[in-house]
Amino acid sequence: MTLEGPDDLSDRERAAVEAELRCLGDDEFVTAERYTEWQVRGPTLEADIAVANIAQDELGHARLWYDLLEAFGHDQVDLIWERDPADFRHATLAERPYETGDWADPVLRGYLYDTYERLRVEALSESAYAPIADRVEKVLGEEEYHREHAHNWLERLCEDADGRRRVQAALDRLFPHALTLFARTDREEAVVDTGVRPVPLSELRREWRNVVTPFLGSLGLEVPVADHEALLPAARGRDGDHTDAWESLYNEFTFTYEQLGRDSAPALMPEPGEADADV
Amino acid sequence: MSEDAVDVEELDDLEGGPSYCTYTDYDHGVAVEELPATGEDADGPEAAVFDELRAVEDPEMPISVVDLGLIYSVTVADGHATVTMTLTYTGCPARDYLQEDVRQAAARAAGVDSAEVELVWSPEWNLEMVTEAGKADLREFGVSV
Repeated sequence: MTLEGPDDLSDRERAAVEAELRCLGDDEFVTAERYTEWQVRGPTLEADIAVANIAQDELGHARLWYDLLEAFGHDQVDLIWERDPADFRHATLAERPYETGDWADPVLRGYLYDTYERLRVEALSESAYAPIADRVEKVLGEEEYHREHAHNWLERLCEDADGRRRVQAALDRLFPHALTLFARTDREEAVVDTGVRPVPLSELRREWRNVVTPFLGSLGLEVPVADHEALLPAARGRDGDHTDAWESLYNEFTFTYEQLGRDSAPALMPEPGEADADV
Repeated sequence: MSEDAVDVEELDDLEGGPSYCTYTDYDHGVAVEELPATGEDADGPEAAVFDELRAVEDPEMPISVVDLGLIYSVTVADGHATVTMTLTYTGCPARDYLQEDVRQAAARAAGVDSAEVELVWSPEWNLEMVTEAGKADLREFGVSV
């Protein structure tokens, strides 16, 4: 059965769609926020441009998912600028601060995240909620380059012992946080059994480990093998429980809004459809 | 994928080590039949909407949104126009600007009192959506297509 739009959803289906969209949108938004810290700080001009472009892609994807929440009556103010930081549902991987000056960190993090994103978004191509499925192809088309970028940099960094040591340190530090990408959504049972995302998270996690473990292993890295339960960090992100890094990141991106005493999201022009048709 | 399967595609490029960025030309993608909508067979108020849309240019390049292949459908019912369109890129900073330009253009057409724009993302836009006239405009501008 296909659910064409907001009006076709029961309360339970709508809650499931919301729960899935909040994870998708918040991951993308917070990941992009972190990436911007690398702009003009990458190891080469080409790397600067690449990371800026990837950040822009992820913001574009955040907007695709947030658009669908706006169709439920939310707006930019309650989704971003005035949202309680404890209501964000991104994985802790997205919010962790970078190890200062360590390019291996965003490269490895991007690899873990973009590999995950491909699998989750591919699973959504079969979503029972048509507006989600409609966006899948576009997102996947833009994601391919992200993985190619990460692959190339990982191979380059792992060519010598010093680079490999730094990638390994990033892997040890970030792998547990990457596992929070697969932590349950607020309405996980409903997400799966209504077909909003027909593939359970446990299956996505297994597929993800089947991709990242041999690839990273082939670069001479040691990938944690323990069960996810033994590796997961204390804070899981998806339930609103975040690491200490989140508060400062949240304060940073809401700083200007707060400082200027805003209570709405200013726009350079009216939203489509809100302008006078006779203009 | 089975439990122990390795994603071969993801490992493929390991053989030769890192590769240089190869994005010097663009993948043309697959042509989708009946897309984009160019209004060739339209008449009445729908043809009038297409005429107005042909005057709306992409904010970055001198090519109309119709020839760029962004318009997927136009319908007019009881004086209300609905334009279905896509964008080349999800992160497009000119999204609201372009949508509003399109909406206002549609609303200006003879036989139309009000207009709305619906943004869709599939089928995914690709270079095959650009019309022949659009390709000529892009070449003139200096874009190789």
